[in-house]
Amino acid sequence: MATVMAATAAERAVLEEEFRWLLHDEVHAVLRQLQDILKEASLRFTLPGSGTEGSMKQENFILGSCGTDQVKGVLTLQGDALSQADVNLKMPRNNQLLHFAFREDKQWKLQQIQDARNHVSQAIYLLANRDESYQFRTGAEVLKLMDAVMLQLTRARNRLTTPATLTLSEIAASGLTRMFAPALPSDLLVNVYINLNKLCLTVYQLHALQPNSTKNFRPAGGAVLHSPGAMFEWGSQRLEVSHVHKVECVIPWLNDALVFFTVSLQLCQQLKDKISVFSSYWSYRPF
Amino acid sequence: MRSSLQAVALWGKKAPPHSITAIMITDDQQMIVTGSQEGQLCLWNLSSELKISAKELLFGHSASVTCLSRARDFSKQPFIVSAAENGEMCVWNVTNGQRVEKATLPYRHTAICYYHCSFRMTGEGWLLCCGEYQDVLIIDAKSLVIIHTFISSQSPDWINCMCIVHSMRIQEDSLLVVSVAGELKVWNLSSSINSIQEKQDVYEKESKFLNALNCRTIRFCTFTERLLLVVFSKCWKVYDYCDFSLLWTEVSGSGQFFAGGEVLAAHRIIIWTEDGHSYIYQLLNRWAQMAAYKTFSGLSKSIYPADGRVLKETIYPHLLCSISVQENKSLPLVMGYMNERKEPFYKVLFSGEVSGRITLWHIPDVPVSKFDGSPREIPITTTWTLQDNFDKHHTMSQSIIDHFSGFKDGADTAVVTSSEYVPSLDKLICGCEDGTIFITQALNAAKAGLLEGDSLLKGSLPHKVLKEGHHHSVTSLLYPHGLSSKLDQSWLVSGDQDSWVILWDIYTEEILHKFFLQAGPVTSLLMSPENFKLRSHQVICSVCGDHSVALLHLEGRRCLLSARKHLFPVRMIKWHPVENFLIVGCADDSVYIWEIETGTLERHETGERARIILNCCDDSQLLKPEFVLPVASEIHKHKSVEQRSSSSYQFGPVPCPGLQVESSCKVADAKFFSGPFNVLPVKTKWSNAGFHILLFDLENLVELLLPTPICDVDPSNSFYGSEILRRAKSTVEKKTLTLKRNKTACGPLSVEAEGKPVSESPAQGDNTIKLSEENDGIKRQKKIKSSKKMRPTQSRKFDANLTIDTAKLLLSCLLPWGVDKELDNLCIKHLNILKLQGPVSLGLASNEDHFSLMLPGWDLCNAEMNKDYSKANLFSRKVLDLSNKYTSTLPNQAGMSRELENISDSFQESNTIVYLLSKLFLVNKLVNMPLELACGIDSSFKMESVHNKMKNPGNDILNISSIYSHLRNGKSESHLPEADISLLKLISCWRDQSVQVTEAIQAVLLAEVQQHMKTLRKAPVNTEPVSVAENGVYEMIQILPKMGWAEEPELQCTADTLPLQTPVSLVKHDSNSNSANFQDTEDMPDRCVLEESESPGEQRHNLWISKVCSCKLC
Repeated sequence: MATVMAATAAERAVLEEEFRWLLHDEVHAVLRQLQDILKEASLRFTLPGSGTEGSMKQENFILGSCGTDQVKGVLTLQGDALSQADVNLKMPRNNQLLHFAFREDKQWKLQQIQDARNHVSQAIYLLANRDESYQFRTGAEVLKLMDAVMLQLTRARNRLTTPATLTLSEIAASGLTRMFAPALPSDLLVNVYINLNKLCLTVYQLHALQPNSTKNFRPAGGAVLHSPGAMFEWGSQRLEVSHVHKVECVIPWLNDALVFFTVSLQLCQQLKDKISVFSSYWSYRPF
Repeated sequence: MRSSLQAVALWGKKAPPHSITAIMITDDQQMIVTGSQEGQLCLWNLSSELKISAKELLFGHSASVTCLSRARDFSKQPFIVSAAENGEMCVWNVTNGQRVEKATLPYRHTAICYYHCSFRMTGEGWLLCCGEYQDVLIIDAKSLVIIHTFISSQSPDWINCMCIVHSMRIQEDSLLVVSVAGELKVWNLSSSINSIQEKQDVYEKESKFLNALNCRTIRFCTFTERLLLVVFSKCWKVYDYCDFSLLWTEVSGSGQFFAGGEVLAAHRIIIWTEDGHSYIYQLLNRWAQMAAYKTFSGLSKSIYPADGRVLKETIYPHLLCSISVQENKSLPLVMGYMNERKEPFYKVLFSGEVSGRITLWHIPDVPVSKFDGSPREIPITTTWTLQDNFDKHHTMSQSIIDHFSGFKDGADTAVVTSSEYVPSLDKLICGCEDGTIFITQALNAAKAGLLEGDSLLKGSLPHKVLKEGHHHSVTSLLYPHGLSSKLDQSWLVSGDQDSWVILWDIYTEEILHKFFLQAGPVTSLLMSPENFKLRSHQVICSVCGDHSVALLHLEGRRCLLSARKHLFPVRMIKWHPVENFLIVGCADDSVYIWEIETGTLERHETGERARIILNCCDDSQLLKPEFVLPVASEIHKHKSVEQRSSSSYQFGPVPCPGLQVESSCKVADAKFFSGPFNVLPVKTKWSNAGFHILLFDLENLVELLLPTPICDVDPSNSFYGSEILRRAKSTVEKKTLTLKRNKTACGPLSVEAEGKPVSESPAQGDNTIKLSEENDGIKRQKKIKSSKKMRPTQSRKFDANLTIDTAKLLLSCLLPWGVDKELDNLCIKHLNILKLQGPVSLGLASNEDHFSLMLPGWDLCNAEMNKDYSKANLFSRKVLDLSNKYTSTLPNQAGMSRELENISDSFQESNTIVYLLSKLFLVNKLVNMPLELACGIDSSFKMESVHNKMKNPGNDILNISSIYSHLRNGKSESHLPEADISLLKLISCWRDQSVQVTEAIQAVLLAEVQQHMKTLRKAPVNTEPVSVAENGVYEMIQILPKMGWAEEPELQCTADTLPLQTPVSLVKHDSNSNSANFQDTEDMPDRCVLEESESPGEQRHNLWISKVCSCKLC
C-alpha cells in the first residue's frame, strides 16, 4: 500500500506539471487553431470583397435535378439573402412553360445561413475574449468555454443540416410566395431552404379539393418536403398537392463551412478530453 | 416533487459551484438575483448597509441561464423572469423562491425587457425578448405565451441588445434595439399596443447603420432626453437621440473589450469592460465650453466627430473615476448598474464572476476626479461568494457523512464523489475521493448530521467501509437490486477514476470481481431494462471517460463488449433486442450501432438518419446518462410505469383527464419508489462533489404511522358518494347546495389531481355531470391505487421504528428551537426528539422539477431577526405572530388532554407525533391548494353560515374521519366546534396573504406543540387508565378526529356502538353516477344494503382506513 502511495505521489507531481503545461500552453494553441478555422469559416459566409453592406458579391446558382427537367431555377445569392430568382416551370399536363422571377426591389433572407453565420461569429467572439494574455486557472474554466463554443458550433451546423419542417399553410403564408413578379399562380407554392451544403428549391403544384369530395380531409403536418397527396386548408379552400418538384444545387462554400464546423467541434472535444484526463487533479482545488 | 414532500438539504462544507452568467438587483434593492451556468438561480440578501448574504438556491433550469429581468411591477409583485440556453423561461417569486410560471419556447433569449403601460394595456404587461432569432418577440408576462413580434422591414437580423425609452418630451415609449450587424432600429411601443393586440404587423419606425459590430448595450439618457449611449465591444459611441447623429466615439485599448455601460446622470456615464474595469466619464459639451471659455478651444482632444456636421452639441469624455475588481483580475464576469434616484437607495455598480463572487461598489452621487485631474479609484464596498456563506455558517452546512471522517482521522473530511440511496434497505452508499465506500443507515447518518447531543450515534454509527478496492476516487455507484428485483440483493457495483469496476458483496464486504476497462474514469453505470436480457441475464453497461461503452455480465463475471469508437460523449444508449444491437447516441448527433455478439461496429450514421434510428426503438432505452437534476431523473425513472398506466386511463368526459390521471399516477409512482424518507444525492455540472437532500413525505408518513394496514377499497370515498346521492334524492330543491358540499367533500381528494376551475352553475344538468365527473376522478384514482398491489408490501418493509424515527427527525427539523427554552425541554422529554445543531436548510418544491433550497445562513438574511435566537430554527419573524393567531383560535380541547392522560407514555409519544404530522400535512395541503379550489371552500364557508344545521363541509378538509363518524351516527347537527372552521379560515387566509408554506407549517407546529405541552405541564402524566366507557361514545367520536390514531381497543369500541353501516363499494356508485341522472339514484338505498352484506366484516374496524385513504387521495 505504501509503495503504491509513493508511486502515485511522484506520478502526481509529473501529472501536475503536465496539467500546468496543458492549461498554459496547449489550451491557447488549440484556441488559436480553433479561431483560425472559424475565421476561415466565417469568411465563407461573408464573401470576399464584402465588408460593407452594399458591395456583397453575388453568386448565381443553377438548380436542377438529374431526373427531369420540368423545373429549372437560377437563384442569385448575395451573402445570406436571395437577391434574384428565376424559376421556369414546365407544366406536366400541357407542357406550357411558366416563368416567374423575384421583384426587383425585394430580397429574401435565408434564415438558415444568417443564423449559422451569427452562431459562428458568436463562437469567434467567445474565443476572442481569451487570447494569449488570458490565464486559465482551472480545467473547469476551459471546459465551460469549450461547452459554450461547442453549443454555438453545434447550433450553427444544425441550422444548416436540419431545414425547418413547415406545414403547407406555413409555406403558403410565408413572404416568399409574395416575392414574385408576376405573382405566383394560386395553384403554386414555392419554398427555398438549405439542406446540408445544398440550396434547395421546391415547387408544389396544387389542386383544390371539392368541398363535397369523398376523400377524407386530413391536413398534413410539418415536413421538409411534402409528398404528393398532402392536404391543407388555405383560406376557405382545401387544397391538395398534386405534383412536387425539387431542384437543388451545391453551394461550395457551405460545404467548406460544414467541414470547418465538424473539424472545430472535434478539436473542442479533444481539448475537453485532454482536460478531463486530469480531472481528478483539478476538481477539488478551490477556484 | 410533491407538495407534501418536505426537503432538507445537507450541504456539506463545500458550496455548490455557481458560475454567474446573469445578475440583477431587485427594484427594492433588498435582493440580488444571479443566474448560473449550472442552471440554478441564487437569491442573495442585500442589507441596507450593502452587506450580502446568500439566501437560497432555486433549481429549475436544466441549462445555463442567459438573462434575468423583472417580470412585474416590482412593488406589486416581486416576480422576476429567467431564461435559459435551451429556451426554458421561468417566472419566480423572489420573496419565497416559488416558481410562478414556466414555458419552454424554441427561442434562446439573450435579453429581456419588461414593459407595461398601465393605461393602455390590460394584463400583466409584456416581456420584450431578443436573442438568437430575428427581431423582437413580445411575450405575455403572465402566461409566457408569445403574443406577437416586432418585425423589421429592412435587413432583419438577430438583436443583440435593446432598451426601452420613456420620453416625457414626445409622450411616446419607444423600443431601441441594435442588431448583430450593427443596425439601430426603433419601434414605437405605446402607440403600437393596439395593433399588436390585433396581431397586425408592426415595422420599425427608423433604422440606421451604426458601423460597428458586437453591440453590448444601448442606453438612453433620461436626464437630458437627448443622448444615446451605445457600447460595442471595441468602442463606445454617443449619439444624439433626435437625429441619431454621432457625437463621439471612444475606442478601447488593446486587449480590452467593453461589456456594458450606463448613464449615471446628465452628461455622466459609466462604462465597464469584460475583465472587470469600469470608468466614469464626464461628457463635456465642447460647444458650450468653447463659447464660455474661448481660450480653452485648443484642447488636446480636439478631434471632431467624423462626419463633421453642425456642432449642435459636440461632446468629449473626461475620465473621472476608475473602478476595478482587484483580485482575479482576468476572470470573466457580468456587471450591472443600478441607478436609483430615490433617497434610501444607493447607486450601486455590481458584478458577478464566473467563480461565483459578487462584488458591489457604491458609486458616490457626484463622482469627482482627484485634484490634479487624474482619475480617482472607487474602492470595493462589499464582496461575497457562496463559499463565504458556507464558511461563516459551518454548523448549518453539515454533510451527511461528516461523522465518519470525524472518527477516522479527524483531519479533512472525506469528499463524497458519488452516492446512491437504496430505499428498500434505507442504506446510503457513499463513494469517496480516496476510494473508500461507506455504507450506512441513511436515517441515522442524517440524524447524526443534523441533531445535537446524539453522541451515541456519532461515535459508533453502524456502518460498513469497503476499502482496499479502489485506489482512486469512486466516480459511480450502482445497486442492481434496486433497479431489478431479480438480481442478487448483496451486489453493489462501483466504478472509479482509474477505470476499475468492482463488484462487491455488501454483506460480507468482499470483492466478487474486478473489471479493468482501461478507458478512463467510469462516468456512469447503467442497467439494462428488465425485459432485455442477454443469455438470460441482465447486463451492466458502463460509460467511460474516453466515451467508450462496455457491457459487463455480472453472473458470468466478464466483459461482453467494449465499444470504443465514439468521438463525442455518449448521450443515449439503446438496446435492440431482436437483432442484439447496442445503439449508442453521441453528443454530436451521430449514432453508432454495435453488434453485441461479435463486438463489431455495424453502422455509423449521422444527421437525419441517426435521428430516425434513435427514435425507432423507444422503449428499450437503458438510461440517459447525462441528467442535470437528479430530481428530474427520478421522474424519468418512473416514466415507464407512468406511461403504461396512463394510457389505460384515457377516458371520461373530464376536460383534461389524461393529464390529471398522469399527474396522479406520477404521485403514486413516486410514493411507491420513495417511501416516507428518501435521500437524494445531487451533483452539479463541472464538479465532482455533491450534496444530499433528505426528502420527507408527510403524507406517506402519516399513512404509515397509522396502525392498520392499507386495504385496496376506500370506504370513505364510497361513503361520500352514497351520502351525496342520498341527499340529492331527498333534497332536490337544495341541489346546488348539495353539490357544493360534494365538491368540498371531494376537494381534499382532488387537490392535486384536479385543478380545474369549479363553476358555480346552478343548472341541474350541469351539476349532475359535474358530480359524475367527480366520482369518475375518484374511481380513476382508486384504480390506480389498487393496481399498485405492491405498494402496501413495500410500505411494510419500512419498519415501524424507522418510520417513527423519520417522523421525529422531521419534527426536529421543523420546530423553532430556542424560541421557548421550556418548550424545548418539554419536547425533548415528552416527544423524545432531539434538538437541532443549528438551523436546517429547508427546501420548497413548486412542482416536480422546480424547487428552492435554503442556503446555510439564510436565517440571518432576515434583517429584523433577533440575535437572541442564535440557535433558533425560526423561519421568519412572521411565524410567531401566525402561531399566536392560531393559538387564539385553537379551541381548548378538554377531550384531548383527557385522552392523553389515559394512554401510556410510549403510545402518547407516537400518537402526538402522528397528530402533529397530520396537522402539518393538512396545513401544507391547504396552503398549497390551487386558487380555484380555495374559492370553492371559501364559498362553502358562506354556505355553512346559512345552513348551519347541516354538517360543515369545511370539516372534511380539516379532518375527514370526523365527518365519517358523524355520518355514521346519522347525526346532522355539528359536533365539531366552530373553532375548527375558524382555524381553517385562518389558514386559508394565510394563503391569501402569501404566507409561505414553511412558515405556516412551523407556526401551526409551534402552536400545537405549545398547546400540547401546556396540558402536560398542568397535569403530570397519569398512567392509570380511566374508564373510557363513561365518556360515552359521542364524546369519543369528538375526540376521534382530534386523536384519530387512538389505540385499537378504543376504536373497536367506537365502531361497535355505531350503527352498522359499511361503506359501499365505489364501483357501483360510479356506474350509477356515470349515468348522470339523479332520477336513477332512487334505487340507491337498495344497492347500499346489498353491498353492505357483501362487504366483509373486517372492514368495519378498519375505521382508520377512511382516514388513511382519504388522506392519500388528497
